[in-house]
Amino acid sequence: MAKMREVEPVVEIGEMTAAVSRERVQKLSRDRRRVIGFNSLSLLLFLLLWEGSSRLLHSVFFPGPLVVSRTFVVLLVEGDIQGYTLPYHAYVSLYRVLLGFGAACLTAIPLGIILGLWRPVYFGTRVVSEPLRFIPPLAWIPMAILFFSGLGRYVFLIWVGVFFPLFILTMNGVSTASPTFVDVARVLGASRSFIALRIIIPNALPQIVGAMRAVMSPAWMCIVAAEMVAAELVGLGQLINNYATLLRMDIVIVGMISIGILGLLLNEALMAVERALFRYRQEVKV
Amino acid sequence: MLEYRNVHKSFDTEAGSLVVIKDFTASIREGEFVVLLGPSGCGKSTLLRITAGLEPPSRGEVLIDGRAPDLHGRHRLGFVFQEPALMPWRDLVSNVTLGLEIRRIAKAERNRQAVEILRLLGLQGFEKYYPHQVSGGMKHRVAIARAYIVDPIILLMDEPFVALDAQTRESLQRDLQDLWQRRKKTVIFVTHNLEEAILLGTRIVVLGKRPATVQMDYEVRLAMPRDPVSREFVDLRHELRGMLA
Ligand SMILES: Nc1ncnc2c1ncn2[C@@H]1O[C@H](COP(=O)(O)OP(=O)(O)O)[C@@H](O)[C@H]1O
Ligand SMILES: [Mg+2]
Repeated sequence: MAKMREVEPVVEIGEMTAAVSRERVQKLSRDRRRVIGFNSLSLLLFLLLWEGSSRLLHSVFFPGPLVVSRTFVVLLVEGDIQGYTLPYHAYVSLYRVLLGFGAACLTAIPLGIILGLWRPVYFGTRVVSEPLRFIPPLAWIPMAILFFSGLGRYVFLIWVGVFFPLFILTMNGVSTASPTFVDVARVLGASRSFIALRIIIPNALPQIVGAMRAVMSPAWMCIVAAEMVAAELVGLGQLINNYATLLRMDIVIVGMISIGILGLLLNEALMAVERALFRYRQEVKV
Repeated sequence: MLEYRNVHKSFDTEAGSLVVIKDFTASIREGEFVVLLGPSGCGKSTLLRITAGLEPPSRGEVLIDGRAPDLHGRHRLGFVFQEPALMPWRDLVSNVTLGLEIRRIAKAERNRQAVEILRLLGLQGFEKYYPHQVSGGMKHRVAIARAYIVDPIILLMDEPFVALDAQTRESLQRDLQDLWQRRKKTVIFVTHNLEEAILLGTRIVVLGKRPATVQMDYEVRLAMPRDPVSREFVDLRHELRGMLA
């Protein structure tokens, strides 16, 4: 993080700023090249270790990357026994995850904001919310099976897994607003609603988007678990489950890797949103 | 126009009650630049917060034009805090115009006034910059502009320059003095630096150790702008330092 030097008189700072930012841009692209280099290297190393240990073990239950990539191509082009291709499995799971995640955002974020502004309500309802929060999403599966079917079941299970962490993180972001910002606005005669809408919420937004990113991994955990117990044929969880019973570990691994890659892509997308929205936050970096 | 009548303030903590201000009485006329000088921890910030209505006094009263401080619009106050506290999601112009936005002044008018005051503080050309893109000294200028732009009847400044290096501080002191001479305001400026007090104040009120009580109330008669290496300035500094010791 390049620190700007103090230079007076003020007029000179304009040129300073330009020079510093040009320098910073150059440094950034250098850093980026280095990051890409290191990541390619660690990927290569990982694949080599995997291939090596698979050959050492010499077990059909632990195929190496070469076998797995062949299976990957087959699944991509021809599909599984039922004829569903890998992109279709991935699309179905992704669709379910995004619906559940969207439902959680639409409920947890507004509630987190309201209770963050109005802490007594939260403290007065903790006896209900805290025990609920500690029930693992998987424990909700029997309920979900009884009361929901089809898409609704998946959405419900993801919602259950994502709602509480997102709600708590949002509420904390809102209730830790800088007291000086609030004082600045109060002295200038701001109303409570102005302070809430124009000071506290914008101040908490980076934390809220960060929280959305953080709950992506519980969302995937829920969808895979939910798909494993469902009777349907599509979805990455279903793919893994079906072929696990057939001991086709190469397909299982393809399913696992697909989830990892989708998670990575979603995370990168949300990070791009963060960077675009919160340019002012110097901390938001790769 | 600004009266403190036997203001007391104590905070109740687990360790007991801490008396921070004790029987503070003073009366400040319109247009005075009052410097509150006192050791750190003596209760200066608390006194300013009480003046602004951010904190109630435990006993006694503060009267602005005969009425208690009122955060909801009756008194227009400006407050410059020790840290600039600029909102990072607003550019410099919309940081400066916060108070006008609260007063629902039309955007074109807000921006016109902001551009003018930013120019007076040497920040023309930086209107669209964000706080993280400018230096510490510039942030302090913006914080001053944000307080000044609402045309406050009293401007409260709480050690606004302590975090700055000596050079930046001097340039800000000069600009503040300049601004004050162009647009006279009642100012209460807190500092623990005697030199800064003499440089800026038309009146210096010296507070003792906590609980804050008035130790000395001194009218500064040097002509403005003041030169810290001039004979009179140095003499006065020696005299005051002697009286404070
Ligand atoms: N909200 C508070 N609760 C308890 N003690 C406080 C509070 N605010 C200030 N104090 C105490 O009051 C004393 C004076 O504080 P302050 O007015 O900030 O001093 P100064 O600005 O002169 O350095 C300090 O000892 C501080 O710890
Ligand atoms: Mg203080």
